[in-house]
Amino acid sequence: MNKRRLFFGGITILLLVAIAACMMVIGRGHTMYFDNKKLEYEGRTIDTIRRINVNVNGEQVAKLSAKDRGMATFTGQTLKFNLEVIRQKGGESEFYDYTVKIPYGQDGMVLNLPAMIEGLPEEAYATVFVPQVVEEEEDEEIVTDEFGMDMDDMGAEG
Amino acid sequence: MNGKNTSTGKKILNLIGNNAVPIMFIIIILICLPMSGFSSTFLLNEIMNRLSRNAFLILSLLIPIMAGMGLNFGMTLGAMAAEIALIFTSDWQIWGIPGIVLATIMSIPISALLGLMCGKILNAAKGREMITSYIISFFMNGVYQLVVLYMMGSIIPITHTNIKLPRGYGVRASVDLTRIRKSLDNVLAFNVAGVRIPVMTLLIIAAMCLVIVWFRRTKLGQDMRAVGQDMEVARAAGIDVEGTRIISIVISTVLAGIGMVIYLQNMGDMATYSSHSQIGMFCIAALLVGGASVDKASIGNVFLGVILFHTMFILAPKAGAVITGNEVIGEYFRVFVSYGVITVALVMYETKKRRAKASMGAQLEAEQKEEENR
Repeated sequence: MNKRRLFFGGITILLLVAIAACMMVIGRGHTMYFDNKKLEYEGRTIDTIRRINVNVNGEQVAKLSAKDRGMATFTGQTLKFNLEVIRQKGGESEFYDYTVKIPYGQDGMVLNLPAMIEGLPEEAYATVFVPQVVEEEEDEEIVTDEFGMDMDDMGAEG
Repeated sequence: MNGKNTSTGKKILNLIGNNAVPIMFIIIILICLPMSGFSSTFLLNEIMNRLSRNAFLILSLLIPIMAGMGLNFGMTLGAMAAEIALIFTSDWQIWGIPGIVLATIMSIPISALLGLMCGKILNAAKGREMITSYIISFFMNGVYQLVVLYMMGSIIPITHTNIKLPRGYGVRASVDLTRIRKSLDNVLAFNVAGVRIPVMTLLIIAAMCLVIVWFRRTKLGQDMRAVGQDMEVARAAGIDVEGTRIISIVISTVLAGIGMVIYLQNMGDMATYSSHSQIGMFCIAALLVGGASVDKASIGNVFLGVILFHTMFILAPKAGAVITGNEVIGEYFRVFVSYGVITVALVMYETKKRRAKASMGAQLEAEQKEEENR
């Protein structure tokens, strides 16, 4: 193999690896959960708020009454969102903008919105989302198509 | 005058003979079309969807045909590589277009390695490439199952429980690709009279067609055609026959891997243990329906094949239901037709080859006799 071909081959591989690395960062999906729940922190009680509307990129993703949970999915490591807070019936709306960073390895994060609005530190309002483990007693039956005679695939397509 | 009529008749007969499969499909479609009762918008939407889903995969078959290696049933290996890549991107939660790009990039080295292995084996089985590649795909299916069913989750890290089997290792029978579903198809997509046009996917397919046209004119492309026409003559001309054949299979397998990513992003769901097993068969059937043969195929055959084959796929169950009152019979019909068309095409190819040999022999004999008479 001549040097020129080796050089261009190497450059192509490096380029593909770089693109793959970029894709892994910008395409990493996360789920952000928004809680409108009561929180106890260092002896203080942060109460729920009557109504919180969560907007991401100008689109409403959650409409939370007291004790509600909403969610939004996004890609990348940062989520910018806007909150519209209504504290009393017929009261005026307050607006808050937030930017939250989520570590790469975390699939989801739970944000306590009343605590966030109250200005508490991140350790108070942000917790790692741990999905509930559902015990599956029986193992899923795997049917492998040894002889290539299974037509389900095309059936599904059709 | 009479002679002219005879030659025109022969020409028409030849035309029909050479395009028997597409003509047969056009007739079937014309019969089924009024029975199905589908609206033109529905039908066009379905055809457009299937065209964008399958065309790239079928294009991957053209290069080995050019190199005289016949229909590459080994494209299944590329499909397996794409599936492995998609399992990883799903587990790593890479969504949308980045997920598709990452899966494509990840599938390339796996496909290339599998293609290299396949090409080397096919070089050892010259003249029997199709059956050999078919059996290789079965063999590799076993290896794929070993990796996916036993090694993933135990040796190869898989973290998410929606992908891993409850026993702690192995991948579930179905992997959800909702997060990348139609991500590519929806880029720049628009509607024309109710028909959704997946612009980006079509642009990628068009780019692939241009690459194939360009590739045919390159030195490597010319070498492949020379190898495809006559290996001994190509070798005498200084072409590395074995190397060229391996490259053609590697390119085909890599393209099949990329095509499978496009296919599965359109489907939005992956049957882990069966998605790949039929893909080679149906792509080959579609290509043959488009009028291609074992030794000759063009880009036109790909598009005609996808349109005819998949139109039949859409219409047959409904037409079957109307004719027999049972939709399942229509399903059987389309399955039987897809296998049948491959059989017919292979038989026709062999018959043509034998006829050509016989006519060449007869011509040679006549020339020899003429020389003896002189």
